[in-house]
Amino acid sequence: MEKIIELKDVNKTYPGAVPLHVLKGINLDISRGELVAIMGASGSGKSTLLNILGILDNYDTGEYRLDGTLVRDLTENQAAQLRNRKIGFVFQSFNLINYKNALENVALPLFYQGVSRRKRNRLAMEQLERMGLADRAHHLPGELSGGQKQRVAIARALITQPALILADEPTGALDSQTSREVMALMRELNDQGMTIVIVTHDPGVGASTSRIIRISDGIIEGSGQSSTSHGAPQFAAVVNSFSND
Amino acid sequence: MKAFKALVDPDNWREIVATLARNKTRTAMTAFGIFWGTAMLAMLLGGAGGLKDTMMANFDGFASNSGFAFTQATTKAYAGFNKGRNWDMTTDDVEQIRRLCPEIDGLTTMNGYGCVASYGKRYYSGRLTGVDADYTKVMLPRIVEGRFINATDDAQVRKVAVIGRTVADNLFPGESPLGKHIAVNGIYYKVVGVVYQTSEVNINGKLDESVVIPNSTLRQGFHLGRKVDAIMFVTKAGTRPSQLEGRIRRVMTTNHQLHPDDKQALTMFDISEQFEMLDNLFLGITMLALFVGIGSLMAGVIGVGNIMWVIVKERTPEIGIRRAIGAKPGDIIAQILSESVLLTLVAGIAGICFAALVLGIAQMALASADSSPHYQLFFSQAVGILVTFIVLGTAAGTIPAIKAMKIKPVEAMRE
Repeated sequence: MEKIIELKDVNKTYPGAVPLHVLKGINLDISRGELVAIMGASGSGKSTLLNILGILDNYDTGEYRLDGTLVRDLTENQAAQLRNRKIGFVFQSFNLINYKNALENVALPLFYQGVSRRKRNRLAMEQLERMGLADRAHHLPGELSGGQKQRVAIARALITQPALILADEPTGALDSQTSREVMALMRELNDQGMTIVIVTHDPGVGASTSRIIRISDGIIEGSGQSSTSHGAPQFAAVVNSFSND
Repeated sequence: MKAFKALVDPDNWREIVATLARNKTRTAMTAFGIFWGTAMLAMLLGGAGGLKDTMMANFDGFASNSGFAFTQATTKAYAGFNKGRNWDMTTDDVEQIRRLCPEIDGLTTMNGYGCVASYGKRYYSGRLTGVDADYTKVMLPRIVEGRFINATDDAQVRKVAVIGRTVADNLFPGESPLGKHIAVNGIYYKVVGVVYQTSEVNINGKLDESVVIPNSTLRQGFHLGRKVDAIMFVTKAGTRPSQLEGRIRRVMTTNHQLHPDDKQALTMFDISEQFEMLDNLFLGITMLALFVGIGSLMAGVIGVGNIMWVIVKERTPEIGIRRAIGAKPGDIIAQILSESVLLTLVAGIAGICFAALVLGIAQMALASADSSPHYQLFFSQAVGILVTFIVLGTAAGTIPAIKAMKIKPVEAMRE
């Protein structure tokens, strides 16, 4: 299958009095359409790996290709453009802008593409409808539940039709029921062809993915198929479930 | 094009306004700093200009390149004469000065006395002044009606008089004095003009309270022979009156046996030096106004810088989020600077409007019938102050914005 992420011997060291070598020769390929979990204990290097994959941080040596583009020595503007067009981010703490309503939050990535206000609001509304949140479009994040906020964040991640969704502990701030629903939504998106990489330390989340990459002390220890079947509720059912929040 | 679209995007401006409105007290305090800074600078500049106009109005009507010379008792013994001797200039001296000083553009002799002018049963006690036609080159009398003394009056020793406005009001209430004859110390003169002066400075009494006649007529009427009390002259462009002082003194010391160092015996006065002194004074006042105004302005700008620093600090996580979803450094800097510029622009315009109002009130309060000092801010000054403020406000916002850009998005989101 076509590779969307290719890492070859990627190293990352944080300088300091005692330099911290957090990623040690990472080799990793992720194909288009995969739903992958990166798991590991705290301090294992999984978040650093996610930041490098999301072009939020630089690596020291090695090579990283995102959707065929070599991510190396990029200017801030090039990095911003790649993030905007290729990657959708979903964060543990949602990272919505609290004084913007759901519609404005979802539309924001398109603002940085120079899309007209009318068009970006239309597309944002479509995404919110897809997430079952059309009636919450004009609510501020503070007026939404945790699950609703995460769905707004997912809608924001999807609006630019990225090649990849990177999710950092997407269920970390949610209760178990909402977590299951968010993961069902992730699977649904994956079924529609979206490549998703989830960083988590939750085995339950890992089990919902098709492949688990285990990282320990900056080294990939193993990569294999998830033990749990990928049988997820259908997207419509998930949306209905969310709508009852 | 993209930057322009972002600039005119209503969401962008709504967001900027919303950001500023989130902490109303803080924004209001900062805006007040800018408002006061601009208002102070504008008021000081406009006020300095108005003050200059008010002061210069005292010299209104005086040629700025004019000089005066008049006689006093000698203070030094010389050529067998004791000090304390009284002496007089003569028309012969004046003719000699005219020949020796071709740089003189106009010269008038002047003699003056106290007088009682009467018309019918009305009397007025004022000054009688004899001048030549060139008087109007040194000092510009404002004509109410008629005309001033001319060369023909002087040459033909005519018994004509130009009377001051106050004299006319007293002798001819409610009627025109032109063509009528007034008696001054028993001699009749035909009134040919009514005049007044706008300046507070005068030579031999205020024109409004004087009866002015040709000096030749006055000398004849008072049996003065060739005696002259004072001379007033203007120089041609490029020559200062003080440059002629040496030649004029030489004429007098030679003709009247004055000690060459007796400055008081012939007292000379160069008004261009007074104008220069005033110019320097007002340059000093303007510089002081600029200094104080720029100080206030800088305080406002530092306030903007400070507030932008706090705003950027508070919004560091948000900046991280924006960068993660695709905002370029320029987008973030532009947004922060837009806030800074909007705050500066609105408060600055309000400050200038306030200053214009205060200056307008000052101008109305200080204006009189004869003078209207310009307590005004020139449009170019207002634009200059605003542009300076915006540039400095932008610079003040740039530092925290650039600082914010140095934080990695992922670290910014964590803050």
